[in-house]
Amino acid sequence: MEHIPSSLTRRDVLKLGGAALAAGATSSLSAPAEAQTPKRGGRFRLRSHVAPVHFDPQQTIAFSTMIPLSFAYSRLVKVKGGSAVVPGTQPIEGDLAESWERQGDTAYVFKLRKGVRWHNKPPLNGRELTAEDVRYSYDRFLTIKGNANKFLLEMVDKVEAPDKYTVKFTLREPNAWFVDRLASTSTWVVAKDCVDQFGDLKKPESVVGTGPWMLRSYEPSVRLTFDRNPNYFVSGLPYADGVDIAIHPDPAAAFAQFLSGEYDFGPEYGMVIRRSDLDIAQRRVKGLGMRDYIVVFGGYTAMKLDQEPFKDVRVRRAFAMAQDWKEVLETNAWSQGKGEPNPLIPAALKEWSIPIGQLPQEGRQLYEFDPNGAKRLLAEAGYPNGLKVPVETTPGYGPDWMDAVQVSLRNWKQAGIEGDLKLKEYGAFVSSAIFGKFEKMILTLRGGTTDPDTYFTPFLPGEPLNSSGVNDAKLTEMIKLQRRTFDDKKRREIVYDIQRLTSQQVYYGYGASVSCVGAWMPYVKNFGPNIGHDYGGRLMVAWLDK
Amino acid sequence: MAIPSLLIASLIVFSLPRLIPGDVVQLMLEEKAYGKDLEDLRAKLGLNRPIYIQYVEWLGHVVRGDLGESLWTRRPVLEELARRLPISLELGVLALLFAIVISVPIGVLAAIRQDSPADYAMRSMAILGLSVPGFWIATLCVLLPAIWWGWSPPIQFTAFSADPWAHFAQFLLPAFILGIASAAAIMRLTRGTLLEVLRQDYVRTAWAKGLRERVVVLKHSLKNALIPVVTVLGIQVAQILGGTVIFESIFGLPGMGRFLFDAINQRDYPVIQGVNLLIVSVVVLMNLIVDAFYAFLDPRIRY
Repeated sequence: MEHIPSSLTRRDVLKLGGAALAAGATSSLSAPAEAQTPKRGGRFRLRSHVAPVHFDPQQTIAFSTMIPLSFAYSRLVKVKGGSAVVPGTQPIEGDLAESWERQGDTAYVFKLRKGVRWHNKPPLNGRELTAEDVRYSYDRFLTIKGNANKFLLEMVDKVEAPDKYTVKFTLREPNAWFVDRLASTSTWVVAKDCVDQFGDLKKPESVVGTGPWMLRSYEPSVRLTFDRNPNYFVSGLPYADGVDIAIHPDPAAAFAQFLSGEYDFGPEYGMVIRRSDLDIAQRRVKGLGMRDYIVVFGGYTAMKLDQEPFKDVRVRRAFAMAQDWKEVLETNAWSQGKGEPNPLIPAALKEWSIPIGQLPQEGRQLYEFDPNGAKRLLAEAGYPNGLKVPVETTPGYGPDWMDAVQVSLRNWKQAGIEGDLKLKEYGAFVSSAIFGKFEKMILTLRGGTTDPDTYFTPFLPGEPLNSSGVNDAKLTEMIKLQRRTFDDKKRREIVYDIQRLTSQQVYYGYGASVSCVGAWMPYVKNFGPNIGHDYGGRLMVAWLDK
Repeated sequence: MAIPSLLIASLIVFSLPRLIPGDVVQLMLEEKAYGKDLEDLRAKLGLNRPIYIQYVEWLGHVVRGDLGESLWTRRPVLEELARRLPISLELGVLALLFAIVISVPIGVLAAIRQDSPADYAMRSMAILGLSVPGFWIATLCVLLPAIWWGWSPPIQFTAFSADPWAHFAQFLLPAFILGIASAAAIMRLTRGTLLEVLRQDYVRTAWAKGLRERVVVLKHSLKNALIPVVTVLGIQVAQILGGTVIFESIFGLPGMGRFLFDAINQRDYPVIQGVNLLIVSVVVLMNLIVDAFYAFLDPRIRY
């Protein structure tokens, strides 16, 4: 039995190790920890480039929904916020849960904080949250039709509420990532009363949570307005009286608004600004707060492993070797050359992503752009004159993505590989190619989830997202083994071994991830940017010092 | 002709979105879809029935004034349109007004000062207005003041009820820029048609009678010269409505353009159908008004 108090997490320990080292290596701009007295008052002003698709977190995986909900809802556990948190790390602390413990390999018992109250809005009207509310929320998460995030907790067999302040999860099989999954920004605790009254949670009036701010109004395609929850269960928090999110799709106009002081944070997703805009922003905003961090998103390549030419691992390695990830980063306006290559686990997840230098030679060398080496591999595989391959992608990921695709095609050409580019409309692409419905090869994006285990899904036989068609018994067993391994150190070794294996086999190809610049106005204090959609969690502990 | 046109349009706006590759259910579940979930959700949304049944049912509702609900948000499409149409119309009408106010006087001046330096200058400006993309001008107008002076024009939407003047003011810049391209086209047309009319015998007679230039040009010539201009104005309405998509994005106006753009990306069929049907109706209506206006401009035209 292990007992995990909410104030200390296993990740705190890891943070002291390799993760912190990696963070130091990639952070050229850093925010010192601020030892100041927090100030109450003021309103945070942010920009979102898209409107929420709706407000039911169990009916979408859209970040445009999860970000606004992070201000109004809570979950059992959360990722810590604040300027001391190293971007890319995910230190977990209690949210609604005061403490939790694992009983055996498959049971988790959470003790809830007492006196947590729902927002003082109908139909809840500020009543106390109980374990039954939490049980209902997770039960709905697991059973409602159309919850595309169900896979996050698919290991859960049942959820029980043995008493008013205790929630017990029983898993079908051991899964060491369970608590991390609960910290996801899609596992918000929602109210049965709202579902009963509104039919579902898609309407803004159904947003009644226990989070630090309450949704006052939503003007579609214009703005979301949140006010401070005076009964928030953490005394003194949040510091700001409200949050105003302007919905504005145009990036140039949004940057102009940032420069003119209309927003308190970088206007792009993740509260960042483009590196190409950094110079102007620094000149216009004296004392601009900034911090580099690697985004979790990155390009990846899926190939039909059961077909020629990709049956042959030498061909797959040739493709990887002929890809110049440094050039992709150099031509990107967000990174302007700054970023990191990705192994299987995105480099952004510092605690679990293996450093490229620790890969075996066959895997490591694929990260060195070597068109001649790629040519040699192709010749050995029976393609001495190079080859032509249809490559499908979508321009729906935006112009920056298409620039990266063009760079890849040009790199490949140097190795004698001609990519026959076939563009698909975004909707058509994500509803077909992602699920393996493509001819030979796709170039696409991955990212969005912040727990490493989800990145193993495309390697498991039978999974819809196994678009390359991977069927490697040894790899499957390793993935299952790490899920059963509760010791972090041992699990990390297995996760590293998986990445070593996949780096050699190249079942998928991985592009680099850019290093973004999180930015905020000088009067914003104790803010630390991080990966993931939990804006509310990060801003809850920040304050305005104007 | 209006009713058959609308009926044909209804068939097109219903069927075309369904021909776009991609499936709304797959999009709703994004990358985490599983076989049974897809079928369940498709059935829940009523998308598993034959397309002709869906069409007849939708048309029946439309006739009764019900455009259905968004597949994503469950909000009634008509309610959304009622909120967004005035914004697009406000932008479109203001843009058209700017276009007329700028183009007609300049077109008249260019015609009566044909081949003078002023004419060349005005025609050059018109070419510039036609060739420079409006979204580029708009972006510069928003971005440059922010870079130079830390100020940008108002681009966070203010409702009329919150502040009438701020509401009106936020439309001025986008409407002006949107109107420029139309103004350029109308100016050139006004100049060309007026020159043609000025060479007609009855105008020569008016000059011979010793009428003042103002009377000859404005009273006897311009009215007749405006008939093709009014026709083009009718067409410009459709173009301006289409052009509002980008301007609504840049200036943060929650009009129909952005609504339609998002709906197409999300394959939200009821919204796509509703917005398109409304746009078709507006264009048909504008053409009806234009036809009626001919009779006012030229008494010889009778219906």
